[in-house]
Amino acid sequence: MSGDTPEPNDPIQMPTRRRALMLGAAGVATVVSVRPALAQTAGSVLNCEIPVPGPHGTGMNIDATGNLVAPDTPGSFVATGQKFSGEEVKRALSGQTLPGTTYEQSQAYVNYIRRLQAGQSGFTCFASLQMPR
Amino acid sequence: MADPKTLYQAEPADARIVEPLDMMTLIYQRRSGITHMVGEPVPQMLEAMGEDAVDAATLAARLAVSFDLGGQDDAVTLITERLEELAELGLVERVTDA
Amino acid sequence: MHEFRVQVGPAAFRIGSAWRAPIDQLAHLYRDYPQPDFTDFTVRLEPTTWLRRWLRPSVAIGGDYMLPDAAPLPLAQGLLAAEMAMNLQMALGWRRHLLLHASAVERDGRVLVMTGQSGSGKSTLSALLGSEGWRFLGDEFVLLDPVTGNVVPFPRLISLKNEAIAAMQSAQPDARFGPLLAGTPKGDIRHVVPPADAIAQMGQGGAPALLLFPRYGYPGAVREVAPGETFMRLTQASTNYVALGEAGFITLTRFVKSVPSRAIDYQSGDEAIALVEKLWERLA
Repeated sequence: MSGDTPEPNDPIQMPTRRRALMLGAAGVATVVSVRPALAQTAGSVLNCEIPVPGPHGTGMNIDATGNLVAPDTPGSFVATGQKFSGEEVKRALSGQTLPGTTYEQSQAYVNYIRRLQAGQSGFTCFASLQMPR
Repeated sequence: MADPKTLYQAEPADARIVEPLDMMTLIYQRRSGITHMVGEPVPQMLEAMGEDAVDAATLAARLAVSFDLGGQDDAVTLITERLEELAELGLVERVTDA
Repeated sequence: MHEFRVQVGPAAFRIGSAWRAPIDQLAHLYRDYPQPDFTDFTVRLEPTTWLRRWLRPSVAIGGDYMLPDAAPLPLAQGLLAAEMAMNLQMALGWRRHLLLHASAVERDGRVLVMTGQSGSGKSTLSALLGSEGWRFLGDEFVLLDPVTGNVVPFPRLISLKNEAIAAMQSAQPDARFGPLLAGTPKGDIRHVVPPADAIAQMGQGGAPALLLFPRYGYPGAVREVAPGETFMRLTQASTNYVALGEAGFITLTRFVKSVPSRAIDYQSGDEAIALVEKLWERLA
């Protein structure tokens, strides 16, 4: 193997081997970037609540996938702006039903919460419930 | 699929702070303020690129001088993927032909 | 508006309240702390609506820094509201040090830092150690100096939850306790005033020498935590790592490269203290 020279003090005079370089796997990221943890830690120091729906959805219903829809939409669920605590939502995210709701209604509400965007009421609270990776 | 002739260029070395740890290397990118936790072969790629604009095949050849890359075709494909990942994060730039 | 001012470590707070009771409680519990003229943060305890000032009084937290979704608390938990509000000001507004969601105690100029989620036991352990030959530095936030890498004390009232309250009362019956706040969103809470030396020496920090990730409620065990994992977990335990930019990066990398780190499981305060002493002797 040209280019490999023996170590000067190596009595056995073996050529040095290049070590293998892991190139990663196809389709798998090798970089994890640190995102602000503000929401998580600040959320743990202050209890918070999430209204379903928030003010931006007043008077609307929620469909099974969590979208806001017109009140007469078939299969949609009534929502009155009821407030759920961070703890209640956390439990609902792991399978329990939100208090005062049926199973399907709870699923719809949880999907609504999952769709919240920054700026909508309850978003910061929901973001703070996410477990760190 | 990225064009194999695409050239990639890393930021100058002083644009970042590199801290090797046990299982990963930390890269703080001064321009964005973002901290990236990276594994092999990213630190080695950045060092081998230096300040040059290189394509994936050239970079693979440079790395092969110091490291064993296994099968050559596979290596270029994987290095292309890594370069694309770094370009998406802003750690390297795709250089358009003059 | 009733008002109270208090200096804790490097930060000075002004608390204004529409009601007198929380201010009286704060003044009583913080009576040995300095009262500053100039303050870094203002916190306000306000009625949620005009009527709620008198009828089933409900406390909304306001201040220099706020979270929009914060749930109000009943007036009986006004002390808790004030403490949470001070936490929020630090978490969102403090830039002079890197903040870690952690507790700390000091011995011989070296500091033990303990970090974990709520319920890990970091508050309770710091309170127990703080009365067993260690000096209490804080139970909610650990402040790291970006220039020296040292831990700067921030000894607020220690917040004990549920079973930890009884544990502390039997371990330290002479400590000064705040009122029992039952049925808060986090269960029963009781505050305890840090020991006198913690308050008297809150201007003196120390070099971090050991980091622990405690976990309460599991059979005793110790696991080494590699620097990479420690770094990742601490970025999630810091509210201002990203905001501090390069200084945050340098401070945190220096910490993980120089401070050994272990995860410990335990089922009782005594078991934890024994583990701590053993690891401290071996590693710190």
